Amino acid sequence: MKLSKIFIKPSLYFLMLLMVLSFGFRAEAADKENCLMCHKYRQLGRIDEQGRKKNYNVNENIYANTVHRNVPCRDCHTYITRLPHDPVTEEVSCANECHIKPPFAKENFSHRKIINIYNKSVHAIKENDSPDLKLAKPYCKYCHLNPIYTRVSEKRISYEKTLARCFNCHEKKGVTQAYKHVTHRLAHKTSRSPQEIVQLCSKNCHEDVEKMKKFNVSKESVEAVETYNESIHGKAVALGSQQTADCISCHATSAIHDIYKKDNQKATINPANRAKICRQCHRKVNERFIQIDVHSSINNKKPILFFMNLGLRGALYSTIFGLMFLALIETIGRKRDGIKWQIKGGTTWRGKSKREPKN
Amino acid sequence: MSTSAENIETMGDEETAESYYTHVEGVGAIPRDIYKHVKSDPLGDLPRYSIHIVIQHFLTFVAFLILAATGLSLHFSDLWWARQITFLFGGTDNARLVHKMAAAVMVAASIYHLLTIIGGTLHKVMKKQFDIKKTQIPRLKDLHDLVHDIKYFFGREQFRPKMEKFMYKQKLHYLAILWGTFVLISAGITLLFPEMMATIWPNPAFFQDLARLMHADEAIMAITVIVFWHWSNVHVVPGRFPLQWTFLTGKITREHQIEEHFLEYLNNLKEIPEEREYMKKILKEKGFESKGGDL
Repeated sequence: MKLSKIFIKPSLYFLMLLMVLSFGFRAEAADKENCLMCHKYRQLGRIDEQGRKKNYNVNENIYANTVHRNVPCRDCHTYITRLPHDPVTEEVSCANECHIKPPFAKENFSHRKIINIYNKSVHAIKENDSPDLKLAKPYCKYCHLNPIYTRVSEKRISYEKTLARCFNCHEKKGVTQAYKHVTHRLAHKTSRSPQEIVQLCSKNCHEDVEKMKKFNVSKESVEAVETYNESIHGKAVALGSQQTADCISCHATSAIHDIYKKDNQKATINPANRAKICRQCHRKVNERFIQIDVHSSINNKKPILFFMNLGLRGALYSTIFGLMFLALIETIGRKRDGIKWQIKGGTTWRGKSKREPKN
Repeated sequence: MSTSAENIETMGDEETAESYYTHVEGVGAIPRDIYKHVKSDPLGDLPRYSIHIVIQHFLTFVAFLILAATGLSLHFSDLWWARQITFLFGGTDNARLVHKMAAAVMVAASIYHLLTIIGGTLHKVMKKQFDIKKTQIPRLKDLHDLVHDIKYFFGREQFRPKMEKFMYKQKLHYLAILWGTFVLISAGITLLFPEMMATIWPNPAFFQDLARLMHADEAIMAITVIVFWHWSNVHVVPGRFPLQWTFLTGKITREHQIEEHFLEYLNNLKEIPEEREYMKKILKEKGFESKGGDL
């Protein structure tokens, strides 16, 4: 009796645990047309005409956790019209309309609006651009290189407490996602952290001085990454600050993609608009404050500061070496006169002076 | 000791700065190297700093270390240790806040110091006790002392010069601190309140760049001087190793006072009867009594 009681309960719990673990939680992606019937196979692929190995497998579990989880395949891959489909030659366009209706909207969702803003910006590909420049300019996927398009961290604003009230009327799943979708964009101007933004703009692009020089950009632009990293904004961000300005903070409005050259009237950093963009953090911004150089470097174009910097450096080394020399000769001189290092028995002068008596 | 009185022929009717013996009324003739014969308490025998100065040193000492740790890690943000140090202060944004709080302590300590110094000076002027020799104000004598001290270190002279309460090293250091604190505080205010200071400086772009340059360079200068020179002077050099207790007790050891601040020691003899008695006893014990002769 007793023995069975000891064993039955734990083994039941263990069995329940096993059942729970073996079920797992399968995520469901939007796949009405059953594309996954073929694309679920991990070996699905071919060697193309250039001899490159291509893999066409789609992992349903990963896709179901991405931002595009509710978008049916053919909303983006519009060129697929029959089954089995022809070899794919086109790229997807982010400007496509998909069959998702955002809440409180009548039109289908599309990234068209943001692409229109981007197409006016300095980063847009223009007709008379050189082929090199066309290749260097970033398009959607260039920056949004999150390879599986998963959601960014949503932990910045605590939502449990606020959401609890929504559940009084709304279904938990839908409203949680909608709430997170809105609030994680409110925490910060961009979904990405300042560190990610700085890395995104610098890496392989703006930090590459040789590459930038080829594209006929201003000297300030060429040095922009270096001068930013030298500034207080750059230093704080490099150390992990979340409250300091990154590239996007100053160079774009909340539309993020509207980056223009300084002399463009629409540029956030145009002297006419600068006060507005600085005010995001510097509340007491004024006409004189905006004259301050943000991407500042001390070079020979600022002769006073340049020579001052040199002079201060010289003063530093001469002071340190001068004082250390003084401390050294003082120590040697006093040691020779018979001083010991440590005070013991009430005196430090326990040694014998090695000085020659003066005659 | 080799520095026997027989070798010194400077004794005359009139005492000079180089005299081996110094006559003090009621005590006797004190030889310059008497510090080799006296007994000292490592914690200090003679008064040097008031409680105000001790408190001010403590405040600046704590604030300085915090400012240096947070400031250096921010300035050298690309070095590996910068992140570890800011982590100790709770991340970069917190470290920057801590830097500002420590700066407030530093400013408060500086104001406290100026008030005590100005108040104390005024008090002395009113009582007609003000003596420029006892202050930190540099005089030509300090240059003279430096030259003679270097000669002594190289063995070219028998004794260190007779110096006041503040010797050339301390005056140099003190004036550097005055200047450095002024620069760091004014540049720091420019960096902390750029909006407000832009309306005050004649050329905001230039002065902001200047503040960025001066705040960093002056801070690095201060940190290197403190670490390499001040700390070696109070921790490492013979007689001060492992720690000079003056910063806590406000007192200086007898041998240190006589060696480096002989003229201040003469003031001590005037003011402290016990010290007079002690010196008389030592002179008698060591047999200097007869050599100098009593006045």
